[in-house]
Amino acid sequence: MRRSTIPALVAVVGVLLLTDLLLVNASLAEIAGVAIDAAILVAAGAALAAVASLALRRAGDLVRRRGDSIGAAFVLGGMAALLIAGLRPGATGSSDPAVGWLVSALLIPIGATLFALLFVTTLAASRRSLATPSREATVLVTAALVVLVLLLPIGGGIGAWLSGAAGWMLEVPIGAVFRGMLVGVAILAAVLAARTVLGVGTTDE
Amino acid sequence: MSDRRAILSRMGPPVLLLVLAGAVLLPADIGLRLDRADSSASRGVNVALDQLPEDPMVLVGFDPDLGTYAELRPTVRALLGDLLGRGANLAFISLTPEGRALAIGELDRLARLEANPGQIVDLGFLPGAEAALVALARGLGPTAAGALVGPGELPDPDMALVIGGNDLGPRSWVEQVTPRRESLEIVAVAPTVLLPDLQPYLASGQLAALLATPRDGAAYRATLELGPLERLVEPTEPSSLAILLGILAAIVVLGQAIGVRFASAMRVFGSREAS
Repeated sequence: MRRSTIPALVAVVGVLLLTDLLLVNASLAEIAGVAIDAAILVAAGAALAAVASLALRRAGDLVRRRGDSIGAAFVLGGMAALLIAGLRPGATGSSDPAVGWLVSALLIPIGATLFALLFVTTLAASRRSLATPSREATVLVTAALVVLVLLLPIGGGIGAWLSGAAGWMLEVPIGAVFRGMLVGVAILAAVLAARTVLGVGTTDE
Repeated sequence: MSDRRAILSRMGPPVLLLVLAGAVLLPADIGLRLDRADSSASRGVNVALDQLPEDPMVLVGFDPDLGTYAELRPTVRALLGDLLGRGANLAFISLTPEGRALAIGELDRLARLEANPGQIVDLGFLPGAEAALVALARGLGPTAAGALVGPGELPDPDMALVIGGNDLGPRSWVEQVTPRRESLEIVAVAPTVLLPDLQPYLASGQLAALLATPRDGAAYRATLELGPLERLVEPTEPSSLAILLGILAAIVVLGQAIGVRFASAMRVFGSREAS
């Protein structure tokens, strides 16, 4: 497949969806619907393939005794438990109480605990990043420090001032940068799509 | 590294976690109140909810992520209780696997707390990310006023409540759903990290209201009087003291590191000046 085929396909589908958005036309809506359904099916297939790949990879780790075999056993056990709970005869799929229990009592608390540790690990990583003479790291950590001060949950006059300063920073400097980025990305995508459709400066050049 | 520094760096994280755990166990109200900050976001949500018709249909796009859901959870539960108290019918749909897992947990909790099952419908998981949102927006159709639909069918909502996360949040809803359903108001609950991303949409009115910080959430929760539905709200407020101590610890750690870096840079600058 030529390298420009995929961007051209993306651009054509994009133009199709955009036209469908602007014009009320039953035939156009049907074609756009087919494109959207195809995208959804591909995404669902890719998700299933990813899960199958993970299971095969971990099963291979377990059989060949390579890598973290305990972790592999837990991954496969977790997958099997959820599949059995949701697909056993008489089960009601993802709304089955057994699935609900596995998710509410195990998956969510364990996941939340792991993410809670990010607080400590992110602080350690920030400190380590400052150990190297990097201007970017210094600017990043200083900005994080300023934001942390602005987010202090204290009341009274100081709290109101911090809250006002946080609002100003968000709406003026940070808001301006984000708006600029959004507008810039939209313009760049439109220009790239137009160049691809018109065959100007494609990747084959 | 000296022995003292080695011990400090080894013991620091567990000690910090122990201090935070201790702070969580202390009484919630010790003079620090998250809800005493600016309440404009909370007013925005209440105005949007007050404008809903009687027995409204609310489409709940439930896609938070495990990493940030703890920040949203008290506000989400309060908002769901508020909507159920207003007689709203809630249709839950998720577009990310993580969001679906968390939605299963919340639906399970609502069932355990005996929320009216006639007001809740689970539309399940729709794969395809942005493409799924487009399909969702195209599929939203009229149904009998106030009537609930079964799983697999899409309602004609009066409002969309988007519980956002890192993968697919209110921004995607504004970009994909609003152009196709201009009359559909979107109210969002999102983690603080998404606030800069969402502020332009709030300012332009594309988001009807947004709760995106623990302070906004606390200010909203403080306005609620749910009566018997109070059981749907979390019984205890998040610990302001733990949040304050966590932020202070982060400020001290980062401030000390930046101070060391600054001092080192000044030393280099001074030696260059001297030579």
